[in-house]
Amino acid sequence: MKAEFINPFVTAGLKVLESVISARPESGQLAVRSAAFTTQQVSIVIGVTGAVEGQAIYGMSLVTATKIAAAMSSMPAMAFDEMASSAIGELGNMISGHATTLLSEAGYECQITPPTLVRGTEVEIATSTPALVIPLYTDFGKMEINVALMETGEKTATSPPRDTEKQEASDA
Amino acid sequence: MPKILVVDDAMFMRAMLKKLLTEAGFDIAGEAETGRVAVDLYQELKPDLVMMDITMPEMDGLTALKEIVKLDPAAKVVMCTALGQERSVMEAMNAGAKDYILKPFNAEKVVEVLKNASG
Ligand SMILES: [Mg+2]
Repeated sequence: MKAEFINPFVTAGLKVLESVISARPESGQLAVRSAAFTTQQVSIVIGVTGAVEGQAIYGMSLVTATKIAAAMSSMPAMAFDEMASSAIGELGNMISGHATTLLSEAGYECQITPPTLVRGTEVEIATSTPALVIPLYTDFGKMEINVALMETGEKTATSPPRDTEKQEASDA
Repeated sequence: MPKILVVDDAMFMRAMLKKLLTEAGFDIAGEAETGRVAVDLYQELKPDLVMMDITMPEMDGLTALKEIVKLDPAAKVVMCTALGQERSVMEAMNAGAKDYILKPFNAEKVVEVLKNASG
């Protein structure tokens, strides 16, 4: 897959995490992962359809997921219960929603499916292309963004890119 | 106080919204986790306002908005969506949504937008 497809997810991930946990995360090194197995205890899987198709997977430890969910709920602490799972799913939805808007602005009009939460490592996620992976380091621990997207050949006319997009494309 | 129908597939979002809206003095008419249920409940509960998510299973918020406006052209629907989804927001406003709120949202903004939309 093209490296340019992961940049919108990194931009969106940094922005949404900063807003929900009130601290700017740092992005790490880009890596390629051929087999799509979950490597983290909690993974949010979101499908992307349209001019690019595939999945965005957000992986993190249970501790990180629980801390983020608590921050989203304005609670000092919480158990990783149904409410916390729902909060983490919504985090994936917010990041992906923003990322697909950036992709649409770059001419790849696409939509997202509602999030699915996967618990446990070594769970196979069927993807048709190797994933690009970038870790984001937050005060609550690491979140790994995995993006496996393929072009479907329905590229639309490009609308002018926004400043934020240009900026992140060079960082990532 | 206006009665609100809260529509979002995420239990977390419904819980946050219900808490915030109740604290701001709104009444919760009901809640729905899909667009399909939202359309059914709209007819049954006749709420003063609808807070509508966009990405949902079964029927998305844009489709549900259009169905509700078809049933009741005076319906007051406020969209609630992930930040940056301007395209969906524009489509919703053209289809009759009164306003929109971007997630992650802040409480004061939600209350302000809903008070304006209900007036
Ligand atoms: Mg949703």
